[in-house]
Amino acid sequence: MIVGKQKPIDDIWEMISGYQKVLVFGCNTCVAVCHQGGNKEAEILASLLRMRATQEGAGIQIKNGGIERQCEHEFFESARDDIEWADAVLSLACGVGVQFIAGKYPAKVALPGLDTLFMGDVQAPGLLTEACQGCGKCILHLTAGICPISRCAKRIMNGPCGGSTKGKCEINKELDCAWQLILDRLEALGRLDEYERVIPVKDWSTERAGGPRKLVMDKEAS
Amino acid sequence: MANKNVGAVMVVGGGIAGIGAALDLADSGYFVYLVEKSPGIGGTMAQLDKTFPTNDCAMCILSPKLVECGRHLNIELLTLSEVTSVTGSAGDFTVEVLKRARYIDPDKCIACGSCTEKCPRKADSEFDAGMGKRKAAYIKYAQTVPLKYVIDGSQCIYIQKGRCKACEKFCPTGAINFEDKDETLTFHVGSVILAPGFSTFDPKPFDFFGYGRIPDLVTSLEYERLLSANGPCMGHLVRPSDHREPKKIAWIQCVGSRSTNRCNNTYCSSVCCMYALKQALVTSEHLTGGNAELSIFYMDMRSHGKEFERVYETAKQKGVRFVRARPHTILPGRSDLGLSMVYATEQGEQINESFDMAILSVGLEAPPDAQNICKMLGIEQNKFRFVKTSCLDPVKTSREGIYATGVITGPKDIPQAVVESSAAAAQSARSLADVRGTLAKKKQYPPELDVLGQDPRIGVFVCSCGINIAGTVDVKAVTEYAKTLPGVVFAENNLFTCSTDTQKLISQIIRENNLNRVVIAACTPRTHEPMFQDTLKESGLNGYLVEMANIRNQNSWVHQSEPQKATAKAKKQVAMAVAQVAGSRPLANITVEVVPRALVVGGGLAGLVTSLTLADQGFETVLVEKEQKLGGNALHINTTWQGEPVGGFLADLIKKVENHPKISVSKQTSILSATGSVGHFSTSISVNGQSSSVDHGIAVFATGGQESRPEEYLYGQDSRVHTHLEFDALLAGGDAVDKAQSFAFIQCVGSREPQRPYCSRVCCTHTVKGAIAVRKKNPDSSVFVFYRDIRTYGEREDLYTEARNLGVIFVRYSLDSKPQVFVEDGALYIKAMDHVLQMPIQLEVDHLVLAAAIVPRQENQGLVDLYKCGLNADGFLNEAHPKLRPVDMSVEGLFIAGLCHYPKPVEESIAQAQAAASRAAVVLSKKTLMLSGKISKHNRDICMSCLACFRACPYGSPFIDKDGRVSHNEVKCTGCGICAGVCPAKAFQVENYRDDQILAMVDSYTKDLWENAPAR
Repeated sequence: MIVGKQKPIDDIWEMISGYQKVLVFGCNTCVAVCHQGGNKEAEILASLLRMRATQEGAGIQIKNGGIERQCEHEFFESARDDIEWADAVLSLACGVGVQFIAGKYPAKVALPGLDTLFMGDVQAPGLLTEACQGCGKCILHLTAGICPISRCAKRIMNGPCGGSTKGKCEINKELDCAWQLILDRLEALGRLDEYERVIPVKDWSTERAGGPRKLVMDKEAS
Repeated sequence: MANKNVGAVMVVGGGIAGIGAALDLADSGYFVYLVEKSPGIGGTMAQLDKTFPTNDCAMCILSPKLVECGRHLNIELLTLSEVTSVTGSAGDFTVEVLKRARYIDPDKCIACGSCTEKCPRKADSEFDAGMGKRKAAYIKYAQTVPLKYVIDGSQCIYIQKGRCKACEKFCPTGAINFEDKDETLTFHVGSVILAPGFSTFDPKPFDFFGYGRIPDLVTSLEYERLLSANGPCMGHLVRPSDHREPKKIAWIQCVGSRSTNRCNNTYCSSVCCMYALKQALVTSEHLTGGNAELSIFYMDMRSHGKEFERVYETAKQKGVRFVRARPHTILPGRSDLGLSMVYATEQGEQINESFDMAILSVGLEAPPDAQNICKMLGIEQNKFRFVKTSCLDPVKTSREGIYATGVITGPKDIPQAVVESSAAAAQSARSLADVRGTLAKKKQYPPELDVLGQDPRIGVFVCSCGINIAGTVDVKAVTEYAKTLPGVVFAENNLFTCSTDTQKLISQIIRENNLNRVVIAACTPRTHEPMFQDTLKESGLNGYLVEMANIRNQNSWVHQSEPQKATAKAKKQVAMAVAQVAGSRPLANITVEVVPRALVVGGGLAGLVTSLTLADQGFETVLVEKEQKLGGNALHINTTWQGEPVGGFLADLIKKVENHPKISVSKQTSILSATGSVGHFSTSISVNGQSSSVDHGIAVFATGGQESRPEEYLYGQDSRVHTHLEFDALLAGGDAVDKAQSFAFIQCVGSREPQRPYCSRVCCTHTVKGAIAVRKKNPDSSVFVFYRDIRTYGEREDLYTEARNLGVIFVRYSLDSKPQVFVEDGALYIKAMDHVLQMPIQLEVDHLVLAAAIVPRQENQGLVDLYKCGLNADGFLNEAHPKLRPVDMSVEGLFIAGLCHYPKPVEESIAQAQAAASRAAVVLSKKTLMLSGKISKHNRDICMSCLACFRACPYGSPFIDKDGRVSHNEVKCTGCGICAGVCPAKAFQVENYRDDQILAMVDSYTKDLWENAPAR
């Protein structure tokens, strides 16, 4: 899922100062599961901001709302009145949602309440880790299910670099060397011979280097 | 049986032991008379500041029990009362009780405190152990039960001299009654439980202590009062002489204990080492600056209970100084400030040291009237005036139908007293099984009105709590403000909202005004919510439609110096409670049908006793044992410490269990899996490879423990090195002992070591018992004991004395200089440092006995995985609370007995096994269980199955269902709200604490602020 982190309340407060009616707007899918931007978090944040407004005597009106996903037109129907009311929408969605609002409501100001971080997994309660960078051409079948694109600092394709020491990466002693993990796992699977296979130079055009990407499904499939 | 049994029990003594027995019996179908000599229940525990080993506040954990006793339909409190005669026999006793005059009518007293305020006569407060004063008209302490004032006739000026009556003039309800007379009441009961507690040793007659002459020398109980927040210095510790903070404090152990020369208390009082450690640790929290110098003067440090050794280690780490010495001369300091004392160090040096203050760790004694009580009841005492009991039936007295619990049967700590109180309840219930439920009352309520869908019509009752609240908060203003709040149709102020009269008034107002919600602005829901819920139910409203605003504990008590702000805060609290209750819904309690069957896991001594105690009460019991044979460790124990042979007792017990019609014994059985919760567990077992399933309402775990195999001192390498149980077998048969010349015991083998930091509790007694047996059997032999601290707690101390009298030589060693055992030319030698000679010694011995640690069984982990109960760091199963719930486990419906909980001797295992049966009977005696409706509700439709709840719930109530999504088992839910807190989808909401209610509360709080906020 997409992982984000709520911005510090001081930053958010500064962002919304100057507006009269602010809608704190939750997105109840990815960022809800990581406890940062769901409709409940929107409620809590709105409540905090109202307290701040009271304490500072600021004449801002703050409402909260939210929908299932801020990246699809149809869900916005239920929030029409709320968005109409507001002069600024503080979106707690990922960057996709914020832009979607900006695009959908040209007269409204869309503000980001979250810093969008990465696509990741839940390793343990409260611990989310990055696992995919959406490179556009998956090679996990070649690397024992461990992604060197997202998990190796250098994103290299054929074995560890010289900075790999005792299984750790040279940029951080805490960080596992992705290629060490790949090797260990290949060995455990009894497929170490696959390591001999040279992976050709990666075509980065499917990644962001080729400009913003788009997926067009044929009509039947969509 | 000639006479018909009576389904009522009299409990004599309202301390924690009496309270425990009373609640168990009242909760399982008996009517209980609880007789207390003083004006209120609570006993010594109420006087304590904190309790070891957790340093929980004593009052905080005790007070809910007091309230429960006070409110229980099946407990009648008889305070200021003493039993004067017991006639008849087991099953049908006639008891005469002398109830002394209270001079205040408890039905009229609203506990406003006016009598105390106006009373001109001061007297020493018994509750404050003489460290503070009370009036002649008084209550014992603020949380006392019953909360009714009393006039002490011996102090009252009017009663003594015929003039005054100030209290009568000022009492607002006319409750003062100087005509009140002592009266004699007669009761019929099936059994009597004696729990009169103890008195502390009085050091006054022993002038070498200087107690009474040195102001800054106090007893440990007096010190508890100095530490306590409700004591004379309100928790701000100062010494008596100049009311300054003491910095250098000493504790002197064994005052009136282990003392042959000075008094006849040769026994160990069992609790003083631990309370001194606790007091030392708590003292550093009380003192400002943190540069306290704390010293404990002791003989042997006896931290032999569960988690106790860790407290000792913590104290050492935190810099408490431990001096092994018994100060012999204590003198007042200059100008009577502080004191000095003289003691000899272990090196023989005499030291004179000054302290700001010292505490005498006084021992426990049978109360002064123990002799009279026992004589009146016709029960035997032992030489220390404690009630005589047997290790094999630890709560039974010499008169049938009369049981004893607590310190009256010998010194013990609170958990052991609580265990025994449940054991006494079990033994009572066992003898009165045929009349269970015959005298117990059941409450009836009018049918509930349907208020769902109605607009809120809220009534607000603002309590003055005498002057407790009204002295600080402007209650009239709060009441007027409440009338303006949305949904409120009625508001009034009461002097005491909790008084019986007010309950009737509230009921009337609810009916007259068609109220459908109620707010009580008063004290804490912890003690008072059940009562107000009851008032609503009696008025035909659902009990969950009341909320409390705590404007006392959270307001008037802490903001005394700022009355205006306190009033403003009280308004906010009321507004929030109104906002919350407006959204409250009537809730239904969950009913669970109870499977009337017990599962007992483990067929050792504890499991056997539990099974028989349950089955004799008529409860069907399934006993599972993994071995081929019942009996466990007890099969290898020769005698108890009191010398009672275990073998015959055990054989008889096994026979009774195996032939009991209500018990099915299943040997060679293991547990495969378990589901369910209190009332209806289902456990699948494998018997000899065949699997089957048992449905049961409760389970008792009695999986035992075992003597460990030592890995040092040549154990397993030399046949002359034995463990205790191996040596017991040698003692019991053959002539090995007679033929040998010298014997040695080494203590703490595998215990109190970094890798196993607990004390195994039983080994010191086991060793001295063994040493005595050797010396008696072979008087020419020499016997040496290598020890660290001898821990023959309680009356077991007499064995230690006897061993020394018989010439057994005790040599102390420390962990960093352990004895060395080696073989040279075929001879077995021990080399160690002698603490008296201050020289190394070397002995040749024929037999070496190792006091090997008692360790938990590996199987415990399996039980934890299956039943989600708890295990401590040492691998022993955990009780729900170390002090007041020592037999229950944290999972409702599971109980614990014997060595699987902690190493313990036979008598303590039996008591805990009986106690487990009593606690189990509370569940099994009911057809259905009513569980609170205030639980978390799960909306599966909006749940995203993110598993936050599943991971966070401590009770395992959310689960992954057959569709692979999260569902909720409401029976396991306690309404703690953790799931609602973590759920990002708001799929979990705690009933009547829903998010919309909380937000409404927040809004009601911020609303005025918002309106009054200056424009930007």
